Amino acid sequence: MAERAALLETRNLRKYFSTPRGLLHAVEDVNLSINAGETLGVVGESGCGKSTLGRTLLRLLPATSGEVLYKGEDVLKYRGKELKKMHMSMQMIFQDPFTSLNPKMSISNIIAEPMKVCGTVKNHTEMNERVHELMEICGLPERYVNTYPHELDGGRRQRVGLARALALNPEFIVCDEPVSALDVSIQAQILNLLMDLQEKKGMSYMFITHDLCVVRHISHNIMVMYMGNVVEYAPKDELFAHPLHPYTKALMSAIPTTDLNKRKRPRQLLTGEVANPINPKPGCRFAPRCPYATERCQQPQELVEAALQHKVACWRCIEGM
Amino acid sequence: MAEQKKENLLEIRDLRVQYNTDDAVVHALNGFSLSMKKGENLGLVGETGAGKSTMALSIMRLLPAKVGEITGGSILYDGIDVVHAPESEMQKLRGERISMIFQDPMTSLNPVLTVGKQILEVLELHFPKMDHEEKNRRVDKMLQLVGISPDRKNEYPHQFSGGMKQRIVIAMALIAEPELLLADEPTTALDVTIQAQILELVRGLKEKFNTAMILITHDLGVVNEVCDNVAIVYGGEVIESGSIDEVYSRVKNHPYTDGLFKSIPDLETNAARLQPIPGHMVDPTNLPIGCKFAQRCQHCSERCRTEAPRLHRVNSTHFIKCHMFEEDTCHG
Repeated sequence: MAERAALLETRNLRKYFSTPRGLLHAVEDVNLSINAGETLGVVGESGCGKSTLGRTLLRLLPATSGEVLYKGEDVLKYRGKELKKMHMSMQMIFQDPFTSLNPKMSISNIIAEPMKVCGTVKNHTEMNERVHELMEICGLPERYVNTYPHELDGGRRQRVGLARALALNPEFIVCDEPVSALDVSIQAQILNLLMDLQEKKGMSYMFITHDLCVVRHISHNIMVMYMGNVVEYAPKDELFAHPLHPYTKALMSAIPTTDLNKRKRPRQLLTGEVANPINPKPGCRFAPRCPYATERCQQPQELVEAALQHKVACWRCIEGM
Repeated sequence: MAEQKKENLLEIRDLRVQYNTDDAVVHALNGFSLSMKKGENLGLVGETGAGKSTMALSIMRLLPAKVGEITGGSILYDGIDVVHAPESEMQKLRGERISMIFQDPMTSLNPVLTVGKQILEVLELHFPKMDHEEKNRRVDKMLQLVGISPDRKNEYPHQFSGGMKQRIVIAMALIAEPELLLADEPTTALDVTIQAQILELVRGLKEKFNTAMILITHDLGVVNEVCDNVAIVYGGEVIESGSIDEVYSRVKNHPYTDGLFKSIPDLETNAARLQPIPGHMVDPTNLPIGCKFAQRCQHCSERCRTEAPRLHRVNSTHFIKCHMFEEDTCHG
């Protein structure tokens, strides 16, 4: 989005899954760009393809077509050693801290495993020092070093997941709903930790979430997805000041707020639910639930810049301006 | 006060519940008090392990046998002593006068029964004398009310999405037209746009049936949208209760409530940093003598560590359990 060279970019990235009933279009022609030291928030409801996008970026899932450019090189072409090297600078934090840690490994082993696999430490002493350092960064007391995941609560487990992701000094982390399984007071602790790390180490994040409040707090740019399509893409303040796409507006109106004045506000309720992404029709995928849908929405919608740096995939929003 | 008591639908006094496990005794509820009127929507807010679900299970007397034990206090539901009532009386209460919506719609439906049959089951159990056509008519009407076409009643739960399943669970809970609905995190597993639809449905129930509801959630926003009153739970006791206006206006709050509000990223303001509550939830197997929130509280004094605070009355409906509000107690 800016003139600076992006750390990570995708070009027409697609991921389809073949199912017995046809092709499931999970991620469709996604073009995104993340600068060093910045956070891209990816928002959408379950099944919109946001986690698939994160996994495809890191090659945990093979892409169907398109490019993922990391510092200008297409990582989808990497093999063997190159791939391992790539994984050293790109890591992931998973959604569920209860299933993403091996229950049979101690906390120190979990955090040390990436270093063993990639051979970044020379000996045991160095490794133990590094584990302690990581635990301190992530706010884990030293006494947990030999405990097992089941002995920790959700917030502390998520800190272990973060320490593991940081073990190789990555430059880019995909955070897949890292706080949605946590209580609000713990959620705030983890969000602050992520933001402190970004400030200190200049890390970049792709932050996947369904929570618009969280995404506003942590992101620089925000991408809204619906059924595999990007429907709106803008800098955070611009998006919240002037949301354009009907889906973004509905999402914002649906968030329960603690503001007393907004208690009795008129709500823009969406009818229906997300349709099936198997063999979708070419038009706008939000059209069946959109209160403004017309004939023209049956045509494919391009993501077009409606204002400076503000892209939206809806002809009404562009022509209505 | 005496008159007020009469109107109360539910009155919980100093309830104590513990779980006796092999390793330790878990003190889930420690002097939990609550009262609500007919037709009231009460939000019960607290984090994981605060004792919210235990409270709901105690009212229904569905605590796990042998492990869960009520060690003190009383639950009065419309004059019935729930703690000591015979099982036959409880069976009449459950489903007919009090019903419950569980957190996870994916696991609270029977996968091998059609949804119509599952809703009908409630009527067959509680109204055996009602004739069959009347029962079916009621099922159709209820499905329509929750926004599902009655044509789909012969389908199985797996053929419905998460939001639709939650609507079916709500239909099951309401078919007998209960006076009290216990909703345990009814929208936590759902997406925001679907959550908004379900909350709209729940808001309409009060007008249609005058159902009282206890909405158990960790989301302060959801409570603001639906409820009249709110109770904040920490360490198995209510530490603050009042009307939505009193609590959400943020004039006087328990330090924990205040911390909860500050932990939520706000859509309006652009705060650079959140102010989380330090530390973790109090360990229910090893409770402190004094205030349960003391270890995490910024205003903690020596007195907080040694003496448990009483419930102080800020005004006639707003109560806070904290030493700081001792002077605020208004008498009368």
